Amino acid sequence: MGNNRFYTPDGFSDVLPGICEFKKEAEGKLRTLFGLNGYSEIETPGIEYTDIYMDNEYVPAQNLYKLCDQKGRLITIRYDGTIPASRFAATIYKDEEPPLRLCYIENMYRYEQVGGGKQSEFTQAGVELMGSSGSAADAEVIALAIESALEIGIKDLQISIGQTKLFSGFMEGLKIDKESSDKIRNAINQKDVVTLEKTASDIGLSEEDKETLLMFSESQGTYDVIEAMRGRIKNDTAVAALDNLKEILDILDDYGYLKYVSIDLGLLGSDYYTGVIFKGFTYEVGFPILGGGRYDNVVGTFGRDMEAVGFSLGLSLAIIALMRQGMEPEASKPEVIIGYDIDIEGSRKAAIALKQQMVAEGTRVILDTQGYTQEALEKYADDNGIETCIFIDETKEEA
Amino acid sequence: MLTIALSKGRLAEQAIELLEKAGYDCTAAKEKSRKLILEDEKQGLRFILAKPADVPTYVEYGAADIGVVGKDTLLEEGRQLYEVIDLGFGKCRMCVCGPKELKGKLDTIPNKRVSTKYPNITRAYFEDYKRESVEIIKLHGSIELAPLIGLSDVIVDIVETGRTLFENGLDVLETVAEISARVVVNKVSMKMKASEIKPMIEALKKQVEIMNEEKKEA
Repeated sequence: MGNNRFYTPDGFSDVLPGICEFKKEAEGKLRTLFGLNGYSEIETPGIEYTDIYMDNEYVPAQNLYKLCDQKGRLITIRYDGTIPASRFAATIYKDEEPPLRLCYIENMYRYEQVGGGKQSEFTQAGVELMGSSGSAADAEVIALAIESALEIGIKDLQISIGQTKLFSGFMEGLKIDKESSDKIRNAINQKDVVTLEKTASDIGLSEEDKETLLMFSESQGTYDVIEAMRGRIKNDTAVAALDNLKEILDILDDYGYLKYVSIDLGLLGSDYYTGVIFKGFTYEVGFPILGGGRYDNVVGTFGRDMEAVGFSLGLSLAIIALMRQGMEPEASKPEVIIGYDIDIEGSRKAAIALKQQMVAEGTRVILDTQGYTQEALEKYADDNGIETCIFIDETKEEA
Repeated sequence: MLTIALSKGRLAEQAIELLEKAGYDCTAAKEKSRKLILEDEKQGLRFILAKPADVPTYVEYGAADIGVVGKDTLLEEGRQLYEVIDLGFGKCRMCVCGPKELKGKLDTIPNKRVSTKYPNITRAYFEDYKRESVEIIKLHGSIELAPLIGLSDVIVDIVETGRTLFENGLDVLETVAEISARVVVNKVSMKMKASEIKPMIEALKKQVEIMNEEKKEA
């Protein structure tokens, strides 16, 4: 016998009744919201072949929970929702007319550093809009991300939006080597102005291009940021990216969501993203609670070329944020307890009938299993905050 | 309320000095006591004094919004943070050091044994940058001792003046990185508390510029 039978593994924890109830209700709200917006929920298997994650190199291998099946093939516990949904859309749904609107609410498993609200097992709720390119699709997904966070009770919400093609297009125009380009990318990702300036000087960029790079790192705003960039870029890809950002803001304004949104051109993400990229923040947790973007090349790796955009909300992390912001989830208590005197014939039957009737009416009710006397039952009800206590000590003749 | 994590010791003193010059009253932080959290409600500042290696952790997880910490610690810990200012003090170099006879001949030893307090930096330098395998021996102090008594061939450590090295017949063989104190910011705080953080960064940057100017003139 090991010593580990009393504990749960690092990064895994039990969910207590109050939090669990809140979480399941939140899942229900998100499911309804996704459904009302035309997204169909799918369940992908809890275990997939590791190949779906490794063949496209979008996921760091060391973060996957890997096992072997009986034939020695590598299999992986569900790491995210997007890649299985991409596999699904390209295979099982290959003949389905686009656009596809899919959603999921599942537990994900990642070997990652635990802390600051992060766990190895966590619930994500997300949507994928596939087979639709353009700003309308991008904005629909961002709007739904905002609504999801609001729906579960996040009030202080800030969404940062960037565009990966704006940066890659601009860098393409500079014609510099990969090493310097990676250095600049890292520096912008970390808002490390010192390294950024130094690298730009080392490779002999013009003052104007240097300033533009600094704007990637430091700019924050909405339309003003886009306009400030406009005169500085010539590359077609980058110009298109800027137009995309502007259209997204226009559409989000139509939704009435501009107040939640700011442009952060320093959001560069990984190679996985091929267009708009966004993250959602709130107080009291050190990591974004939601994130997403356009990933036009992922579905294609499964054999069906299809543009796609999506987001996922880290429900577990969002709940931690809500609790640190002062929410105290409590498990619902029974409203009624019913006891009976076992010595009186028919009292148990009457008690069961009463309980069944109350449950049917939607009342939270428990039937005593401890054989309490009337006095003990009343005390129990008092101690546990149960409002109504019913003790049956006579046979009620049913009419 | 902004929470600022300072690396205990000289770095904390210098950071406090700079904050004061930038117009932040740091009386709370200078209080001589055993308190671990020093709060100044009026200014909306809270200082925590932490072991340097823990500062990036506090900031990445959002327990602190801002941190002041050496680049060596940042490189070693490899956390996801915004690194916004090079403060210019706490300057030193991360170096590969060893017996001075090895100068210029470091590459002749295959499968080097390297003692260090910084296993991650060492691994990144030798494996990712120099593309060679090394055997890393983690030590906690007096690293210079290791090559002297044959525990390892070389060491990777911080060099300030180099006096300890020279007095023991060792020398700098290669430079791994330039080190100085940095201001780091939690990625969520940068968004959610921008109205408090951005002015602080600007004020600090201005002071650093003045400081650098003064240094040039001197």
